[in-house]
Amino acid sequence: MKTFLEQPPRNGDETVVKVAIEDLNVYYGATHAIKSATLRIPRQRVTSFIGPSGCGKSTFLRALNRMHDLVPGTRVTGRVLLDQTDIYARDIDPVDIRHRVGMVFQRPNPFPKSIYENVIYGAKLQGVHRRSDLERIAETSLRQAALWEEVKDRLQQSALDLSGGQQQRLCIARVLAVAPDVILMDEPASALDPIATSKIEDLISALKAQYTVVIVTHSMQQAARISDETAFFHLGEIVESGHTTEIFTRPKQKKTEDYITGRFG
Amino acid sequence: MEYFLRRRRQWGNLVALACFWMSAILVMVLIVALLGWLVWSGASALSWSFLTSVPNETGAGGGIGPEIFNSFYLLFLTLFFTVPLALAVALYLEEYAQPGIVASAIQLAAEALATVPSIVMGLFGLLVFVFVLRWRFSALGGALTLTLLNLPTMMRMTQQALHAVPGSLREASLALGATKWRTIIHVVIPGAIAPLTTGIVLIAGRIFGETAALIYTAGVSVSNANPYDFGLFHPAETLSVHLWYTHAEGVAVDAQRIGSGSAVVLVAMVVIFNVLARLIGNFFRRRTSGR
Amino acid sequence: MHREEAFALWVLRACALFLVVAMASLVAYLGYQASGLFTIDQVSLGEFLTSFRFDPDLNHVGAAVFLLGSLSVTGLALLIGGPLGVAVAIFLSEIAPPALASVLTLTIELLVGIPSVVYGWLGLLVVVPFVRATSLTSGFGFLAAGLVLGVMILPTVVALSLEALRAQPQSLREGSLALGATRWETICHVLLPAARAGLGVAFLLGIARAIGETLAVQMVIGNASVFPHDLFHAAATLPTEIVLDMAGAPPGSLLQHALFAMACVLLGISLLLVLLVRMIARRS
Repeated sequence: MKTFLEQPPRNGDETVVKVAIEDLNVYYGATHAIKSATLRIPRQRVTSFIGPSGCGKSTFLRALNRMHDLVPGTRVTGRVLLDQTDIYARDIDPVDIRHRVGMVFQRPNPFPKSIYENVIYGAKLQGVHRRSDLERIAETSLRQAALWEEVKDRLQQSALDLSGGQQQRLCIARVLAVAPDVILMDEPASALDPIATSKIEDLISALKAQYTVVIVTHSMQQAARISDETAFFHLGEIVESGHTTEIFTRPKQKKTEDYITGRFG
Repeated sequence: MEYFLRRRRQWGNLVALACFWMSAILVMVLIVALLGWLVWSGASALSWSFLTSVPNETGAGGGIGPEIFNSFYLLFLTLFFTVPLALAVALYLEEYAQPGIVASAIQLAAEALATVPSIVMGLFGLLVFVFVLRWRFSALGGALTLTLLNLPTMMRMTQQALHAVPGSLREASLALGATKWRTIIHVVIPGAIAPLTTGIVLIAGRIFGETAALIYTAGVSVSNANPYDFGLFHPAETLSVHLWYTHAEGVAVDAQRIGSGSAVVLVAMVVIFNVLARLIGNFFRRRTSGR
Repeated sequence: MHREEAFALWVLRACALFLVVAMASLVAYLGYQASGLFTIDQVSLGEFLTSFRFDPDLNHVGAAVFLLGSLSVTGLALLIGGPLGVAVAIFLSEIAPPALASVLTLTIELLVGIPSVVYGWLGLLVVVPFVRATSLTSGFGFLAAGLVLGVMILPTVVALSLEALRAQPQSLREGSLALGATRWETICHVLLPAARAGLGVAFLLGIARAIGETLAVQMVIGNASVFPHDLFHAAATLPTEIVLDMAGAPPGSLLQHALFAMACVLLGISLLLVLLVRMIARRS
């Protein structure tokens, strides 16, 4: 059976390609961090990136919403097509891209503001100012992020008073409030305890009904549990990608098999 | 609608960034213009005789020789008091004092002393050295006033320098049977010498330019007996005080020339002290990093 | 061996004690001198602080003119140097290419070292003629003093704001940008609010530097013991009045007591500012 990667993207199919990456290279100064990577990310699926630390999976992820623009000395070549549009094209504003491709970071990074202010931050920037609209957005996003019941009585408290796991879910709610198409997550549970991690994992599985989720993880179990597609990175290259079940049960590359069976990493 | 909002946000961003660039350029141009102007107008006033001859209070052609001498004389006197005193207090706080009411009282006194405006410190010097001790305006009184003024800063720098010496070095010395005091003399102070020296040179720049605290302590005239006078109890007008006095109260006919010349010498000294501090810092860093 | 140890400790203790004694006697001596105004000369504290009439020969020593002068000149300096300083700090931490940032930092560091009397001199030769030419007045006055002080507090405000901004974690900026905020929106809505305690400290220490400044102000403010109606007229501040009149004040006279009392007011304001800074630092 062919994986979706080897098939041309089709409309109306359940595996419509949301993001297509072609020949992507990322350089940090003289370091060639991502070497000619090509990948397709399907819509409304969870795609996970796995690989040993330093393999480039986070670097690759950050190229998908142009976060590298912010680091002086970083250069990106190749194409990243979001719904057929190259996000690195000259006339594209990275700010627009980041509206459509949200990001959740490794460590929770709530703003030192109230819980409510955190959630509505992005919506306000996009011109929503009516109080009732903002409150509705806040409630919907917090419910989606499975945080509403825990914080509904203390929305005006500082977000920094929340626990680590709650903070991370708040950061997810903050992204949801902007209504993006794609959500990138950079090891979102690595700083959390097991209970908080399982909550985040449940949340991610629920999110794919509406969003395209891409998650970087260092835990193969996590990738196997929650993702539909998996890409394995090693030394800045994508060694192998495909359906998660296939990657984990019948890897085609020796290197993938070695990594999955724990022989290195 | 959405299109206009996007446009507005993009424009807002561009306008804001442009404003930040403009503020930075404005400040840069301002500094370069002011310093350039200072040097350009001062250069014509400078001459060997201006730098070495005695001032003329009423007529033209006075120099700033004794003032330069007094500036350096007071600088060395002040450092002579400030450095050991600051080192002692810092050592006491960093190496000996237990955290408690005594240590926090000393810290508090230092912080309070650091806030005293220099004119207020000048009045305190006037009270103690001129009124109570009856020294009249004197080099010693001026130097002691400057000591009080700069002690807190020097002390803080010394504390930071001592703090940066790794505890493992102290332990190594103590484990070899050295007493605490021996450890301080042979390990801690040598280990802190780089930031200490940089701190001293930076403080020296401040002392050199200080004016307000000196007007009523070291006075606004040079010694009658001998313009280049090492006497501790003779008045000692420094270069910065001279620059002020010539314009505030003086009647010298060529005040403009004296001002330009003095200002450029003062700024040159500040630059030299700054560069020196940097060079010393780099020198020690290279030596301790073993290259 | 141990005697040496004990001796050294005693010397260090004595030096530490000296510091405390020096500060205590400073407050005591100045306070005692100032108290003469209220005990010997029978001036009421209310009159001293609120009366605008300063005429020691006729026994009027209201310091309100100078107090108000100090506060307004400081306010003007903050109005000029504060926003500009924060803008430059933002430029340095968020926008400037690294090479430009280091050049600009170096130039601003140079400003710190320049003696205040040189600022006064520059004020006399650049600012005063500039104000004179644009306003058709003498040029000496509030505006000139405010401009000079504004430049003087700039390095303080820049350095401390920069410290506050750089202390903010990169993740905060990324969090905002990843939500589709522009750089300006990130600075304005996330960074500045997050750094507000540090920025407050920067402003307070800028005020502390400005309010005690003596000579740079004295050389350009025109020194008139009346409160001016506009920015272009001569005025005076607490420090300028002290430095000008102290020389002619006979020991034990009303004028001398008044000047020492003014020094105490100045000291009180400075201590208050640093107390505020400490409170902010402890809270955050």
